Amino acid sequence: MNFLIVGLGASVGAILRNELTLLQSKIKIDFPVITLLINIFGALLLGIFTAQIHNAALLLLGTGFCGGFTTFGTLNMELSQLWFQRRFVRCFLYFSLTYIFGILGFVIGIHV
Amino acid sequence: MKERGKIFLLVLLGAFIGSDLRYLESLIFKASNGFPWGTLIANLTGAFFMPFLIHYLQDRYNLSPKTILTLSTGLLGSYTTFSTFIADSYRLYQNGSWFLLAIYLFVTIVGGFVVALLGNYWAASRAFIDYAKRERN
Repeated sequence: MNFLIVGLGASVGAILRNELTLLQSKIKIDFPVITLLINIFGALLLGIFTAQIHNAALLLLGTGFCGGFTTFGTLNMELSQLWFQRRFVRCFLYFSLTYIFGILGFVIGIHV
Repeated sequence: MKERGKIFLLVLLGAFIGSDLRYLESLIFKASNGFPWGTLIANLTGAFFMPFLIHYLQDRYNLSPKTILTLSTGLLGSYTTFSTFIADSYRLYQNGSWFLLAIYLFVTIVGGFVVALLGNYWAASRAFIDYAKRERN
């Protein structure tokens, strides 16, 4: 039962992430801003959920939805791409912004 | 619209499997000291295989864009997670497990980047081996 709950939440999260990622090619910014925003917003949401809900609901929306919506694989894939393109400033900026605002987002979420 | 439905379904399928694998790992590797082994293992293995999939397997097996979407955005995208990593860190911080927190942050943040670089190198070396084999024949 728990596996169904996690899987369902994550599917919705991943579909939403995929839809948002399609916007990356439409905007004229040469920076992985969509993944950045997805991860920060997902961390903020998980902060709110962690503080407000429990048990099965947290499994659905936290482990499932937020877990599937945010991504660590794509983040590091993009970081390594910037690294191999020798765009070190962008790479460092993306890295710093993700972790600083990701942590900040979660802490804000916990306290609202 | 039918095409869109198919894309939804493929991402759903990948994400369902990916997230449940991560959940399974978090159940199997539950540590008594609260160290989030499950998330760590999922994130590091996922970050390692993502570049290998995109830069090697895709060409090697002529994978279609739909297969790549299912495996990368769906499966590996949901198998790995950024938000749970932050939540795990916060839990260690709240428990006052400073040493575990420092290790977890370091291994995830630096390790994730390093394994992604290694995944790229592995992909390149495998592609090179294939190329050299073809040249010889």
